[in-house]
Amino acid sequence: MKSAINIHLIWALMMLLTLGSYFIGESGSGGVVVMLFLLSTAVVKSVLIIRDFMELRGVSFLWRAIMYGWLIIVSLSIAIIYIISIYTHGA
Amino acid sequence: MMANQSSEIEPKLLPGDLAIWFFIFMELLVFGIFFIVYAVMRLQNVELFNQYQLTLNRELGVANTLLLISSSYFVVRAIHSIRLNEVQCCIHWLYAALAGGAGFLILKSLEYSDKFEAGIGLGTNTFYMFYLSLTMFHFLHVILGMLILFAIVIKAKRGAYSADNHIGIETGASYWHMVDLVWIILFPLVYIIR
Repeated sequence: MKSAINIHLIWALMMLLTLGSYFIGESGSGGVVVMLFLLSTAVVKSVLIIRDFMELRGVSFLWRAIMYGWLIIVSLSIAIIYIISIYTHGA
Repeated sequence: MMANQSSEIEPKLLPGDLAIWFFIFMELLVFGIFFIVYAVMRLQNVELFNQYQLTLNRELGVANTLLLISSSYFVVRAIHSIRLNEVQCCIHWLYAALAGGAGFLILKSLEYSDKFEAGIGLGTNTFYMFYLSLTMFHFLHVILGMLILFAIVIKAKRGAYSADNHIGIETGASYWHMVDLVWIILFPLVYIIR
């Protein structure tokens, strides 16, 4: 029962994070902080999907390392490239 | 006592068939490379990417994100139902998940239709080339995920799954969550972050 309630909360949290990202995007705000916030929001949602929807919580370290490793490499690469673009193009 | 302790710390098995996980890892690798290449190409065309990103329909994009997240949640509910041996309930949740996927395809088709009517295609510019190819590649995965879920519904109706035997549902669910996971990164990357 507890896990079922958690799943509802996780779904609601992901919906709120999505709407939050959308409204921040609509506000037209830019810069490193906003970019990192939007990317972090996507990373948090991804972790919730991997951990609670895909049920990888508690599986062997190797499988979790592959999934979270993918997420870390992709999100860090995007963050670094976007930070470079903001500092070199001011955008 | 010792045996009990060791079984308590033993890691869980991956949900579903192991083969689907190798498929999922391959898919994530391909999408991950695609995302990084998008960011690198944007670095060389920042003004162009920022200018044309504003032409995308963010309302449809966010609606599609909410649909896919909800659809994934419905699949989780289906898994919980079958674990309680509630087969009919499981089938209803799977139908709800399919409806979420269908909603995604409809909204995405509307979005494409607007772009194609405006004469926009893969050759229009680098931004649209990435926008169309990335989202269409994902679109095809949504279709494949829906076909898998539909096949599971048919099998479930024939009584193939129960509380003791539902690896097939977990396998399809894992793939569907991967489709959602990819969109969770794709949507802010292409539609919002600048």
